[in-house]
Amino acid sequence: MRIIPLITLITIFLSIHTAPGQTFNSSGRVVDDGRFAAATKQVNQFFRRFNAEESKEGDQRYRPGDEKYRNVDLRKSFINILFDNETSGISNDLKREFISFVVSDTYPQYLNFHGGDWFAEVNTVFTYNGQRQEVVLFLKLQPQGLGYEWVIENVNFEPFADAFDKPTGDDKKFLHPLSHELGFMNLRKAIVEDSRPESYTPDGYKPDFLTLFLFEIKSERMKFETVKDTRFHFFQIDKWYFELAQFNRPGFNTGWLIANLMKLEDGDREIILDYIYDRN
Amino acid sequence: MKKYIPSLLIFFLATSISVFAQDESISPQRKQAIDSLALEKVKDLSKYISIIGSKETQFSEATRVMDRAEELFAPDAEMGVSSINTNEIAYYKIRRYFERLMALNYDRVNISWYDIHYISDLERQPDGRYVGVITIYQRFEGTSQEAGLNYRDTTKKDITIYVEKKQTQISGRTIEFWDVLLGDVRVTETSA
Repeated sequence: MRIIPLITLITIFLSIHTAPGQTFNSSGRVVDDGRFAAATKQVNQFFRRFNAEESKEGDQRYRPGDEKYRNVDLRKSFINILFDNETSGISNDLKREFISFVVSDTYPQYLNFHGGDWFAEVNTVFTYNGQRQEVVLFLKLQPQGLGYEWVIENVNFEPFADAFDKPTGDDKKFLHPLSHELGFMNLRKAIVEDSRPESYTPDGYKPDFLTLFLFEIKSERMKFETVKDTRFHFFQIDKWYFELAQFNRPGFNTGWLIANLMKLEDGDREIILDYIYDRN
Repeated sequence: MKKYIPSLLIFFLATSISVFAQDESISPQRKQAIDSLALEKVKDLSKYISIIGSKETQFSEATRVMDRAEELFAPDAEMGVSSINTNEIAYYKIRRYFERLMALNYDRVNISWYDIHYISDLERQPDGRYVGVITIYQRFEGTSQEAGLNYRDTTKKDITIYVEKKQTQISGRTIEFWDVLLGDVRVTETSA
């Protein structure tokens, strides 16, 4: 029976240390049970952890010359916790291969905030002709003036994509090769009567959605409502691609984590970009 | 602003006399001093939020504190708030956010802060100012006795800080110092 008080004590101790926000320190602040410390709280912290440029607690920035700056063991332990382990299904073998590649003695790979080859995908909501619609914006970081800025590089918007469907083969109409002799009078039929005037564009024609997007905003047919979520696509690591997303959930595997990881063969980069940009 | 000047000047004298006018980059030592100053402002903001949110605060006092809190921010700063149920951001001007906080319909409100924060690197903007982000966590508890309501949430606050070199005159001498202003704040409800 003497074991009961002991169990009670252990239970109390554990409840203090497992329930978030149940304890206060002497300054009256809520004591983190380790979850917020473990979370990768900012994309900046993801970079620092990936490169081992900060202490385990995140309160000390390591710089060139510091003993632990980019320390291999620290990097390994950090990168291990930078994967989404709950929903993404990245195999352990792939993680191991990736980690050993980036921490290699001969050719270690680091992330560089200003190094390019990474960009943001931002899911937003606009009203378009009075209706709420999702618009995906792709932003990249570029040098500007005395520093850097994020700029919108590309746009994905379903009504834009649906509006352009250039027919091929027998379905594709054309302006016959002697149209010029008639002063292109047949343009009327091409543009007014044909619902797919993109038939009359050169091979390789690609509509510029960014320009359309800006034009629709300036015409006030498209109005910004809100931002829904943000993710990042990284091609900075040689022959690898990964996606960074934010996970807001209970537990210790939270914050900015690698949600998708792929080893790239020749040509894969373009395939992935086409997929991200929803290009056919 | 006045209360920050002594610490700014100490920081200036201690770290950077010889560097001004030649180099706009921020050394690790100076970054640390800027972090401390920024954290001081964030702590003040936290304190003001607690006072504004408290039901024991008189209306006139809350208004005065809102004025003080607003002074911490750049003029066009906004709060962007999202919850667990909807990840869409709702936008509020800083003043409006404080007014909504003050008007919350609870008999008792308790706002406390976690003992953890995270400070990003400083990045330079095109206009030469530096920008950083400080992340803090807040716990909110509201009790309404009549409705028997007990609401509790934990939010992550990502606070933009702008760091800018400024000048002031002291005894006829021009002294340069780095000042910190708060900018947009992203408020995310967490699952904790």
